[in-house]
Amino acid sequence: MADVVLNLVGKLYAGNIRAVSDVSFAVPDGGFCVLVGPSGCGKSTLLRMIAGLETVTDGEISIAGRVVNRIEPMHRDIAMVFQNYALYPHMSVYDNMAYGLRNRKTPEAEIAARVAEAARILELEPYLKRRPKQLSGGQRQRVAMGRAIVRKPQVFLFDEPLSNLDAKLRGQMRVEIKTLQRQLGVTSVYVTHDQLEAMTLADMLVVMNRGRIEQIGEPLYLYENPATIFVAEFIGAPPMNMIGLDPAVGIPAGLSGAESLPVPPTGAMLGIRPEHLHLDRGDGERGSRLRLELKIDAIEAVGAETYFYGHLGSTGPRLVVREAGRGVVPTDGARAFLADRAHIHLFDKASGRRIEM
Amino acid sequence: MVENRPFAAIFSHVVLIIGVVIIAFPVYLAFVASSTDATTISNGQLSLIPDRHLIENYAKVLFEGTDRSTKQPMIVPLMNSFIMAMIIAIGKIFISLLSAFAIVYFRFPFRNTAFWVIFLTLMLPVEVRIYPTYKIVADLHMLDTYAGLTIPLIASATATLLFRQFFLTVPDELIEASKIDGAGPWKFFIDSLLPLSMTSIAAMFVIQFIYGWNQYLWPLLITTRDDMQTIVIGIQKMLTVTDALTEWQLAMATTILAMLPPVIVVIAMQRLFVRGLTETEK
Ligand SMILES: Nc1ncnc2c1ncn2[C@@H]1O[C@H](COP(=O)(O)OP(=O)(O)OP(=O)(O)O)[C@@H](O)[C@H]1O
Ligand SMILES: [Mg+2]
Repeated sequence: MADVVLNLVGKLYAGNIRAVSDVSFAVPDGGFCVLVGPSGCGKSTLLRMIAGLETVTDGEISIAGRVVNRIEPMHRDIAMVFQNYALYPHMSVYDNMAYGLRNRKTPEAEIAARVAEAARILELEPYLKRRPKQLSGGQRQRVAMGRAIVRKPQVFLFDEPLSNLDAKLRGQMRVEIKTLQRQLGVTSVYVTHDQLEAMTLADMLVVMNRGRIEQIGEPLYLYENPATIFVAEFIGAPPMNMIGLDPAVGIPAGLSGAESLPVPPTGAMLGIRPEHLHLDRGDGERGSRLRLELKIDAIEAVGAETYFYGHLGSTGPRLVVREAGRGVVPTDGARAFLADRAHIHLFDKASGRRIEM
Repeated sequence: MVENRPFAAIFSHVVLIIGVVIIAFPVYLAFVASSTDATTISNGQLSLIPDRHLIENYAKVLFEGTDRSTKQPMIVPLMNSFIMAMIIAIGKIFISLLSAFAIVYFRFPFRNTAFWVIFLTLMLPVEVRIYPTYKIVADLHMLDTYAGLTIPLIASATATLLFRQFFLTVPDELIEASKIDGAGPWKFFIDSLLPLSMTSIAAMFVIQFIYGWNQYLWPLLITTRDDMQTIVIGIQKMLTVTDALTEWQLAMATTILAMLPPVIVVIAMQRLFVRGLTETEK
């Protein structure tokens, strides 16, 4: 049972720089946890604390039931894949993968077998004799993966392993990492700032902001029930549309049906995802749905879907609409869109927290 | 560019050739001189073609020495110089690698102080601290020993600085990967840092070997016995003859011999640079 448990973990760097505070979560055995958040939010710091490359200044980290705060990286039984791969430039691909095993006094025959196995899985067999600099970016990435899997560690740690690859390769490697992790069943913690990577890889998503956890949960649960404005805006592309509601000012122009929303006196943010806005074709009842009138600035038809870009009531906040299929609307002009009540989100403007309706 | 302007190409070649001739001609002259006999030289009738006495002269300086001045076979000072230059070069590289490793990778009290102290020694070459150093070496009874000849020259800030600069360019992720792969500091040093420093080490070796080989003042002070002499001093002594003619053909042969080891080191190490840069197979 190699679960990873963090209990009120914090990190204070020298110079009183607070990078992480009060982080608690538990990754179950075999789980795939993704830490996601904007640059500088402390994801790498947290991962490096789990790896043992950074000291833990507050709280406790345990791996497989053992507190590892004071244990050296090599004794934590983890493997890490770095953003720049960190392959040993002077060693062959084979030696890169074998190095960790050799340091652990694994018999050479066993090393050969494990490296061969990893090379087969990762399709690296033709390159075993080469040096890292004679490989393409994707191949280096695979060697870094291979170096991690030959060790058969209890935990994999990934720090933005795909960010140096081009978009196509990134998509391909993402699938491979996921498949490999399923196959091996090794508990994994993965850091990324790419929300698409986060959504597709995670069993468990941890959204971080300024060193704190914003929300933890399954990716789709977070998508549908963001706990804060930050999560709502961070997850999903294009991001969720946000409309400020201020009781003192009244309902913004172009918006109707919002009168009954439980807006607190300090104001609220109304969130609607682009795909939850639908063209009002004038047929059927409006019912309890919200109606938004947009002045359209631009339309992008990409085939399977059409994006409308516009401003609410011509001068209001900028909104994006994603319609399935192809839109047949002239570029300029005003159009009305409807949103189901079940699909709208309301957040307290002051605290940023979700208001349940 | 250059191919389109034949005149420029010819001109630059002429300049280069003149430069090479100016530098190489005296060496060639020394070589020719080392192949003649005493009479030809003293008559000033040196031709531009090597004479017949080449092997004879070289064998004589190596194994018998001059007739009139030192009378020492030059093989001994050649060996001494070689041993001294090797100890200095290897010792400097060894010490500098270790000190640079300590300064770059370990956090200890007064780390920066240590660095600046090493840096300051740059301003104190042997010539400046020669008296105190001599006194210490003499008090330790190291006169006329290889230890006395080399140890004061080994402590070196230049090489430490060079290796420090190189170590700083090694990415942190490599150290972290080593830590996770279970390599302690010492293993990291041996398995990763040393192989990566190979070209810098080769460059340092060349520079320090030549530095050691060309030492004059220090060996002059520290050695009194003939069998501890270095080749540079050997040549110098060969030239001072009382009441007779200097045996120029033998002095020139010794000079040529004294040039060979540094040249060989440069050529051998140059191969290593090139191999380090282009090495493909394991
Ligand atoms: N060694 C350090 N000393 C002091 N402060 C640091 C150190 N390393 C990181 N920080 C600070 O800690 C915060 C979190 O850094 P961290 O590297 O964990 O961010 P990140 O979430 O991984 O960002 P990115 O996506 O850009 O990699 C940042 O504000 C950073 O400036
Ligand atoms: Mg990071």
